[in-house]
Amino acid sequence: MNDITKFSVSDLNLFYGSFQALKNINMDIYKGKITAFIGPSGCGKSTFLKTINRMNDLIEGVTINGTVTLDGVDIYKEMDAISLRTRVGMVFQQPNPFPMSIYDNVAYGPRIHGIRKKSTLDEIVEKSLRQAAIWDEVKDKLKKSAQAISGGQQQRICIARTLAIEPEVILMDEPTSALDPISTLKIEDLASELKKDYTIIIVTHNMQQAGRISDKTAFFLTGEVIEYGDTEQIFNKPSNKKTEDYITGRFG
Amino acid sequence: MKNNQRKFKDGILQGLIYASTSVTIGILIIIIGFVLYKGLPGVNYNFLTRMWDSQTTIVDIDRNSVTGGSAEENYVESLGITIALDDGYIIIKDIKKDSPVENALNIKKVPYELKEKDVIAKADSTTFRDITAEEAVEVLNEGTGAIRLKVTRPGGGIVPMVISTVYIILLTLMIAAPIGICAAIYLNEYAKPGKVLNVIRFAIQNLAGIPSIIYGLFGMLVFVQNFKMQYSILAGGLTLSIMLLPTIISTTEETLKEVPNVYRQGSMGLGATKLQTISKIILPSALPGILVAIILSIGRIVGESAALIWTAGTVAQIPTALVGSEAGAATLTTKMYWLIKESADLESATSIAVVLLALVILLNLLSKIITKRFLRNRTGN
Repeated sequence: MNDITKFSVSDLNLFYGSFQALKNINMDIYKGKITAFIGPSGCGKSTFLKTINRMNDLIEGVTINGTVTLDGVDIYKEMDAISLRTRVGMVFQQPNPFPMSIYDNVAYGPRIHGIRKKSTLDEIVEKSLRQAAIWDEVKDKLKKSAQAISGGQQQRICIARTLAIEPEVILMDEPTSALDPISTLKIEDLASELKKDYTIIIVTHNMQQAGRISDKTAFFLTGEVIEYGDTEQIFNKPSNKKTEDYITGRFG
Repeated sequence: MKNNQRKFKDGILQGLIYASTSVTIGILIIIIGFVLYKGLPGVNYNFLTRMWDSQTTIVDIDRNSVTGGSAEENYVESLGITIALDDGYIIIKDIKKDSPVENALNIKKVPYELKEKDVIAKADSTTFRDITAEEAVEVLNEGTGAIRLKVTRPGGGIVPMVISTVYIILLTLMIAAPIGICAAIYLNEYAKPGKVLNVIRFAIQNLAGIPSIIYGLFGMLVFVQNFKMQYSILAGGLTLSIMLLPTIISTTEETLKEVPNVYRQGSMGLGATKLQTISKIILPSALPGILVAIILSIGRIVGESAALIWTAGTVAQIPTALVGSEAGAATLTTKMYWLIKESADLESATSIAVVLLALVILLNLLSKIITKRFLRNRTGN
């Protein structure tokens, strides 16, 4: 099977003021795969994730050079951040449902992109909630506040909210770090399910998680990509000594 | 030994803390008690429903449609009212149902319904002076058809001040709230941190600390004199707007700061523009806080005197224009100030104080309720 390149990153450097957080990153991310970014805290994996949908634009004092292309189009030079973010959705570390009903949360994305018709919205909401494997749990309380349900459910609502704008890529920034083991498993199953239709990039602290669900893994250390390859190879036969040390738990 | 010393010190400190608390509460109770004791007897139906100045009006009444009689003393059959002699004046004591005085018209043919306690000073050409009630009944029943009465409605009520206060509150908020909220949004959501922002914040903080009489002086020089608004509700409203802007801006900014950043990220991450994020996520989340800021501003408007005396004036009338002599208006507080200073009418002043106290307590309760609602909605129960 041929891998189709979704994102292509070349010579990417990122600075917070004078501090260089990402150093010379080159990487291709493939369509329909789950790519995991692992590494110790502060290694730049979350920062890199945020350059892919330009969330770093919102932070003061960030400078970026190098190119990131999505389907061959430069996302920094030839695309505006708004349309990029509708193609590349994001799920955050802390479940962050808006202070409104479950329905309104999921319908938020479609609404801001101009969909007003009630029946269309109903369809999108149901479809997204089903895709996020939470429809059965919340179908009777769509009008209830999305903040009154458990953390695991909230995170799946947030995934449904992202799915509702029909992105091509879903970025997940440590989506299970605030959740209990059972909710974590549900999200992992969900991710494996979603890769049929979406390209998924997941940042995780949890190496077992990366091993369980990802096809590709990139190991980050102090702003550099130390090693990037098939997950099986990274976990079983890492070619770099640092990767091996990290995987075997010698640091991090 | 050392332990005993410690206990002794603790005891003294605790005593001081309790004493301070009781002093504070004691003072509060004394103030409220004093105001209520002095002022409450003057707060009655007339006080709350009448104009401040007595009003004399000439009315025409059509006496044709009178129904039924009554055995009551001094009943004027042709008008359907009973009258009485009160302190040398003929007053309307009681108005029957369907009485023609309900359809009285003034000289400009505008309805002017007569009310109980109105004084009848003259009927057609007969002046009601040194007259008994029985004689007055006779005069009023004389002839048929239209009768022209000169009626004096007694004053002593706070209606004009209440209405003026409401007008000034509305005007001020209409000017200050949108500007203040937009400025706060700019400062919190758009402005880049740095020297300029610090200078703006410093300026706002200092503006909030300027004594209100200085705003009053400024308002008088600029709005009243320079823009020739005279003492008017617009001049008063503009002055108060300038005075309240810093408070509204900083309170709103504090509320905006409390909106979790993850909401902003979540919204932007879904491809929302900044304005969409602000209008659909941030402002609704901050709304209760903004409402509390507005209610607190209302409290300050109600309590303000120095900034209004020389801008809105002290005339007890219901303003009918925004600027000019028809627009001068005394609020409850400025009238109170004027009563104490000019006429030494301390009784009326304390009665107004009772109304003001009630208003302030009501506003505080309202802001508490809103804050509670807000917290309950947040947790989603």
